[in-house]
Amino acid sequence: MLMDDVAVATSGARAAREPGPLRLGRRVFPAHQRLVMAIVNRTPDSFYRPGATWDAGAALDQVHAAVAEGADILDVGGVPAKPGPEVTAAEEIRRVVPFVEAVRAAYPDLVISVDSWRHEPARAVCEAGADLLNDTWSGWDPLVAEVAAEFGAGLVCSHVGTLTPRTRPFRPSYADVVADVLDRVLGLAERAQKAGVDPARIVIDPAHDFGKNTWHSLELTRRLGELTATGWPVLLSASRKDFVGETVGAPVDGRLAGTLAVTAVGAWLGARIFRAHDVRDTRQALDMVAAIRGDLPPARTVRGLA
Amino acid sequence: MIVAAAVCPSPPLLARELTGRAEVLPELTGACAAAAGHLLATAPDVIAVVGAGQETATWDPDDRLDLSAYAPLPAAGRPVTRQPGKPGLPLALGIGALLLDEAGYAGPRILQAVDESAPAADCLRLGRDLAAAAPRAALLAVGDGSARRGPDAPGYVDERAVPFDDAVRDAMREGDMAALAGLEADLARDLMATGRAAWQVLAGAYEGTSRPAAAIRYAADPFGVAYLVALLS
Repeated sequence: MLMDDVAVATSGARAAREPGPLRLGRRVFPAHQRLVMAIVNRTPDSFYRPGATWDAGAALDQVHAAVAEGADILDVGGVPAKPGPEVTAAEEIRRVVPFVEAVRAAYPDLVISVDSWRHEPARAVCEAGADLLNDTWSGWDPLVAEVAAEFGAGLVCSHVGTLTPRTRPFRPSYADVVADVLDRVLGLAERAQKAGVDPARIVIDPAHDFGKNTWHSLELTRRLGELTATGWPVLLSASRKDFVGETVGAPVDGRLAGTLAVTAVGAWLGARIFRAHDVRDTRQALDMVAAIRGDLPPARTVRGLA
Repeated sequence: MIVAAAVCPSPPLLARELTGRAEVLPELTGACAAAAGHLLATAPDVIAVVGAGQETATWDPDDRLDLSAYAPLPAAGRPVTRQPGKPGLPLALGIGALLLDEAGYAGPRILQAVDESAPAADCLRLGRDLAAAAPRAALLAVGDGSARRGPDAPGYVDERAVPFDDAVRDAMREGDMAALAGLEADLARDLMATGRAAWQVLAGAYEGTSRPAAAIRYAADPFGVAYLVALLS
């Protein structure tokens, strides 16, 4: 069961807030800007290219590449989402903190997010210079929000249904998955504000696949506009996930096209942050959608204009 | 009396708003700015912009290019000026007006469309009339050479294109108005050379004067269309 009482605190309708600039670290991102959050895992066993950045040098190289390819945010993870060998808080800190320090030293202005659900690593990475706590396991540890408030960091408020960290969904069902997501993430956002987190640094994330079957994740994608309509910046984390693989019938390494389709739909519906393994392709898909919407001019247009 | 003239091309990409995040052909835009500056420097009473249109007609001097016709969702910039239901200013006049605006010209202007298929004699007469419009009249002739200069050109390949454009460039460089007056309208149309009528208006404006001194500021075809920028005085 969840460790908190958010569900109690969040019943009833909420007024939408005015979409405003998102503050992350030293950066301020206007509401129409779509951001790429590049994934860099400090794990030996994450689901996509396991161990590829287990080596610290390889991980830093990936950071350089991600920045060059247009990443706005880095999301560093020290613990895979899937069940597996225990990673203690101390071990997570060992995996992540020196890396955050190294990235911060190399890129003073780059937004650094850390994918973590426990307050001990959260505190350690904030001390090392992290700007955003990507609390993928939906406020399982309420002290993470306290840490964000203490350090002036941002916080991702996510939805995992009834899951506890590092567990897989077992026959989840919802009367209305979007309503359940809204209730949870808005409740967490409220709790974060009460804890003192700057509202301009709060992000909501429906967390595709987490506590959901593929039908649920498709529904969330289809109705993502209901999340963006709240006015909170929405993080879309779909990269190469199982719902993409099950939908297009492809293994992890064959899910890029499906991921980009989700990315495009999400961008069209107003999501603002896109967590991605494939930075360059994601950047292109987002720029394409932005140009279609009229938020960003094309790179260079001469066709038919000469 | 004509005191100065300039020749500029009319690709829509001269409007900065239409090229996206990139600046395209800065050399060409620089040459066009120099051409407009050349006219302003003579302190004319009026600047007549002449360019091809569906028919010979004078447009409201306050009219501007309707960018929304080229970019329905303008990324930024100038407001749409076209009246609903009214046809928009012909491209060449719109580009000419834009160049004068960008040069900071706020003085009197004539926006004169010339029927793109008008015979040479009509163009020459129109040029004489424009030159007589004021004691010190300047002319900006806006139009392009052939759009059929190669396999990547908008109009693909026509082997007559390069000789045609070379002849226009040489005539312009020599201030040889008779050569411009002699351009064949049918050939120009075949070659998608939209500048022919405007150049012949220019020739008419210099009728009865000594051969103008001329300088070519740009002559190239980066996208398969011959662009020519020339300054005459």
